[in-house]
Amino acid sequence: MREHITGAVQFVSNNHLKFDRPAQPIDALPDPGQKFGYVNKPVPQPPTAEVLAKLNTPEIKERCADLLSRYPVGQAALLEVLWLVQGVFGWVPREGIRWAANVCGCAPAHALGVATFYTMYNHAPKGKFLLQFCRNISCTIKGAPSLIAYVEHALNIKTGETTPDGLFTILQVECLGSCGNGPMMLVNDDFATDADGDVLTMKPGTKLTTDSIDRILKWCYAHENNIPKHDVLGGTVKGHCGHPGAPGAIAKPQVADYAPPSPVLNVKSEADETGATLTWKGAPEFTKIVVEKKNGDDWVAVGEPGVKDKAFVDPNGKVGDEYRMIATSGERVAKPSAVAVTKQKPAPEQKAV
Amino acid sequence: MAECVKVCTQNFGKGAQDIEVYKKLGGYSNISERLFNMSQFELIDYVQRSNLRGRGGAGFPTGMKWSFVPRGTGKPVYIVVNADEGEGGTFKDHFLMLEDPHRLIEGLIIAAWALGSRAAYIYCRGEFLPCIEALNKALNQAYAAGYLGENICGTKFSFDIFVHRGAGAYICGEETALINSLEGQKGQPRLKPPFPAVCGAWKSPTCVNNVETIMSLPWILSHDPSEYAKMGTPRAGGTKVFCISGDVKNPGVYEAPLGTPMMTMINDYAGGVVGGKLKAVLPGGSSCAPLTAEEAAVATMDYECLASMKTMFGSGAMIIINDTHNMADLLNCLGNFYSHESCGQCTPCREGTGLLHRILNQMVAGNGHDGDVELMQSLSSGFGGVTICPLSISLGGPVSSYTAKFRADFDEYIAKNPEHAKPRIQENYRPGIFW
Amino acid sequence: MSNYYNMPKLPTENSPKVEIFVDDRAVMVPGDTNLLEALKAVGIETPHVCYHPYLPVSGNCRQCLVEQEGPRGRMLVISCYTPVTPGMKIYTPASSARVKNARKATQEFMLVNHPLDCPICDKAGECTLQENYMEAGQNEGRLRPEYGKNYHGNPEHQFIDAKGQLRGGKHVDIGPRILLDEERCVQCDRCVRFMRSIAKDEQLQLAGRADHTYITTFPGEKLDHEYDLCVTDVCPTGAMTAKYFRFQKRVWLLAHTPTISMDDSLGANIWLDHADGRIYRVMPRCNPEVNRSWLSNTSRLAFQQFDKNRLPAIDASAIQISGGKVALVAGGACTNEDLAALKMLKDALGDRAELFGGSLLKVGAPDGIAKSGDPVANRAGMQLMGFADVAELLKRAGEFSNLITVNADLYGEDAAAAKALDKISNRIALSAFDDATAKKAKVAFGIRHWSEVQGTMVNSLNILQKLSAAPTCPDEKLAPAYEVISTLAGNKFNSACEAFMKAREYVPAFADITYDAIKSTGKLLGGNA
Repeated sequence: MREHITGAVQFVSNNHLKFDRPAQPIDALPDPGQKFGYVNKPVPQPPTAEVLAKLNTPEIKERCADLLSRYPVGQAALLEVLWLVQGVFGWVPREGIRWAANVCGCAPAHALGVATFYTMYNHAPKGKFLLQFCRNISCTIKGAPSLIAYVEHALNIKTGETTPDGLFTILQVECLGSCGNGPMMLVNDDFATDADGDVLTMKPGTKLTTDSIDRILKWCYAHENNIPKHDVLGGTVKGHCGHPGAPGAIAKPQVADYAPPSPVLNVKSEADETGATLTWKGAPEFTKIVVEKKNGDDWVAVGEPGVKDKAFVDPNGKVGDEYRMIATSGERVAKPSAVAVTKQKPAPEQKAV
Repeated sequence: MAECVKVCTQNFGKGAQDIEVYKKLGGYSNISERLFNMSQFELIDYVQRSNLRGRGGAGFPTGMKWSFVPRGTGKPVYIVVNADEGEGGTFKDHFLMLEDPHRLIEGLIIAAWALGSRAAYIYCRGEFLPCIEALNKALNQAYAAGYLGENICGTKFSFDIFVHRGAGAYICGEETALINSLEGQKGQPRLKPPFPAVCGAWKSPTCVNNVETIMSLPWILSHDPSEYAKMGTPRAGGTKVFCISGDVKNPGVYEAPLGTPMMTMINDYAGGVVGGKLKAVLPGGSSCAPLTAEEAAVATMDYECLASMKTMFGSGAMIIINDTHNMADLLNCLGNFYSHESCGQCTPCREGTGLLHRILNQMVAGNGHDGDVELMQSLSSGFGGVTICPLSISLGGPVSSYTAKFRADFDEYIAKNPEHAKPRIQENYRPGIFW
Repeated sequence: MSNYYNMPKLPTENSPKVEIFVDDRAVMVPGDTNLLEALKAVGIETPHVCYHPYLPVSGNCRQCLVEQEGPRGRMLVISCYTPVTPGMKIYTPASSARVKNARKATQEFMLVNHPLDCPICDKAGECTLQENYMEAGQNEGRLRPEYGKNYHGNPEHQFIDAKGQLRGGKHVDIGPRILLDEERCVQCDRCVRFMRSIAKDEQLQLAGRADHTYITTFPGEKLDHEYDLCVTDVCPTGAMTAKYFRFQKRVWLLAHTPTISMDDSLGANIWLDHADGRIYRVMPRCNPEVNRSWLSNTSRLAFQQFDKNRLPAIDASAIQISGGKVALVAGGACTNEDLAALKMLKDALGDRAELFGGSLLKVGAPDGIAKSGDPVANRAGMQLMGFADVAELLKRAGEFSNLITVNADLYGEDAAAAKALDKISNRIALSAFDDATAKKAKVAFGIRHWSEVQGTMVNSLNILQKLSAAPTCPDEKLAPAYEVISTLAGNKFNSACEAFMKAREYVPAFADITYDAIKSTGKLLGGNA
């Protein structure tokens, strides 16, 4: 089957053509993009000094310190620190990504990969009101495409574009997790199916209509200069202790003995002519198990099964005998298990042949 | 419809976002001596007996998942709450967190007691900023009330909860992708094994649980586990928060016992189909196979019945579709979604979802061709079990099931292309130019 | 990306053998490795793109699928991440249609957006995609042209070509030594893993997601690292190409000579790829114990000077040793054979001759990849043969009246320190290059460069390694150093093998070794050097 390949290789290796040309490198072909023109213009980036001046503020430093104290590794705070950058600029400039990488102690290229992987980080400035319409299946069923077309017509822009006055940007996004209100939209960070007076609302059972979109747009125009501001991380939490070992954290690792030691659970005892057989459910932490049998008012130890054993047989056990088990985990002795009263072992089922 | 016990949604609309209201409604009653006198092992056994299954979609028994977490390794154990709800049709976690954030915190304390966790992370998708605000507000109150932090309620037990805002990646709902994202990396699923229960976040044992799973715990702990188990089916206990969306009168979040007939859900809870006759139901979110009206009439909403009908229960997200819709449009919608949300790691998913999306787009735009359906079916068969996570199958499955069950819809679109029978060459196609 | 810490376990000679069943046939394979390596050990090649034995397993190409019998029936698994367990049942395409179809499907997806520009692609001939296609695929394309390619890449590099097709990312200048073609990239992320896990400097990353993923550095930064050319080796396609080799030669026209890079005492194993009597490129040659698959840029690009500034061959009678003491100095790149010849010359000259070796360059620290930092490649060999360090010579330069340097450019390395040698009147330089020492010498005698000789060296890990001669010597008359020196000593070695026989007499550690018995990956010498 492969003769023709072998033949071709053969031909090449027997090739005695001389390639007489100078040893100088040959110029690579020019970049075809320069010939045809690039489709997308590079996003103009703010000057580095300006970016750093806006990011290196005491408030943001404090937020970063708080974030870094939550995770064992600084890199884990990267997503949150990028959010802070987006909170300042409304998008993540390149130098902001580099700044975030430095804060979290990871490579700038890594931060770039992360910042471009997640779709909520904007890599170009957006309008004051970012209108995100869900186009997923539930909203499509309920008529999202026609509503999006309506908004595009009303604002005279296409999806992904920003109005010339810099007020609105329309985006179509995937499921926003409010399918019961579909079709619905996000106005910046607020879920909205309607605008009620001064607030955007998404009441149960409501959905976006052309009328409510008009009201929402009207609300936007009215709030052009006092956009309700959300903290990008939903506010701060006071009083947390951080992650043990993280910079600035006061937390100590969990102590091993915070909970009482595990008792033996599910002790069952069944007797037949060979004695009483005990079964139980053991925990991996057990280091020792003792079986005790009731003798009058006293409990007498009758055996010590291995911690990995599944069953224990007391040859003297009879129906009606009471047993309990006491487990030890390391140095701690657990409370005794519930008392098991020995029952008659049911006769083995006859298998139909 | 019978009045159902509300496990997770009992505080809806009662203003339970405030700790005082929540406590008045019986909240935080589990964070008491009863819990503090329980050993980890007893608590896990307790949850196992309640037959609680993970509510995120896979339906893995929660108690068993916890029992896999190795003890005494010297590494911390993390609990991560998966609040990266992004599957089309699923919106329960959104409202659960918004309406009752303290229940999640209470559930987390219980779970942490069982696992010995020092820190828990609630990974909330970035779009849910209102939920994050509600959670942070609730956390502030819980810290102030002493339910969180060092030595909670005078015990030796210390516990902290952090909310981590995601940034828009559906794939982070997959637990290992979520862990990667939590570690500040791209949310790409990891190879398994090792499973997160053994080697998860920062190489430590990690339990990833859904919001609803954790929120079921307070009710379970304050009742007998058998009471919870009794409410469901033999293999999965309890009630379930269903999300009903699409062409129904009252779409929304409804809590009902597992095993409720599908038509009861549609007609009694959601007020019936509107805008036309019932055409299809997606019983478990956008990635499951649709049921036709005839199949829906006999289906019940539980793991077993839906699995036997070759679809899945998933997260209990029902999407109802009436007969005014063409299924090709909806499949195109899914093509958009899954090709957009593929993490770009495995070749079949990265390239395959994009290619299916392009074929569907062209078909819906009136450029369909004979053989497109067969091509799509053949391409999606290349997804089966070959990728790290099931995202590719989430599109591949619907492609095969939609085209098998609603073939006429696709043919209708293809017929709209007057030249559907002959292969088309691009107008300005000039062979012989390399670039 | 995935599990960034999963280095594959590779089989060794001492791997325990276990029995597994491949296509229902029992075979014995190494038991402590992954399935892909185990199958390779028994001669079953599994196509793969993202797997690389010296990089963490990423498992994203899905090309190496096999079927494994498990508790839930036969499942497709990736062989690069499946550990070998005794008794496991594996099905390859030879018996399983499912595996065959899955691989075929993966290949189809791999090529959906890959440009068909093999005729103008530098990687053609050694491209993994091509190899997989020819070996395991050869399936006909079935997508009609209207589906088009969906070329992704950095949005800033996109353009629309003459056919109206959206294209992107050709000839991206990603670093001073590397060009990137974003269209050809198959997102295997080998280069990312190399930079992160081996070079420990995460300069590359896959940006974006889904089928818009593209390789990039941080905008405005360039890929610049001592090992950055290794990413062109690990790149399975023509996405990353080395500027120095672009459009220089079709790879199938190159002949390969396995040898050792003699500029560092780790002795990185290399291939000299040559044609038409000149070297076109130097590629790392895999040696698990030494440099694995890596090679520093310094070692890789050194070849560009090999044929420049060479000394001509002159008549051997020009070398005259006068009376008085004789210092014989071996440079760092001298092979054991050269050293043996020098030692023989010393024996011939008697007590008045002394042996020195080494260089005046500073010894650095090992970088943990493919360099030990010591520029004297054969230092271990010199120690075995009893050569003193050149620093000793500088101190006692006044005692000597004859100096014979062999490929030792002492003046070029440290002109100030080497001034001490001016006291020696009769300076003879045997050198490949017309370097500073040769210029200052009374007699400058051209010899062959290490890339043109056979021989052996002992590296810093005490491994005896073999050099082979590439047919790239600019002048046939040039002779290897050992030949010239042994002629002076009156017992001409006609081959490296003969010279090695002499070296065996001097070095007990070589005693049981014959020249032909040294494997391509070298021979670990027993005991301390």
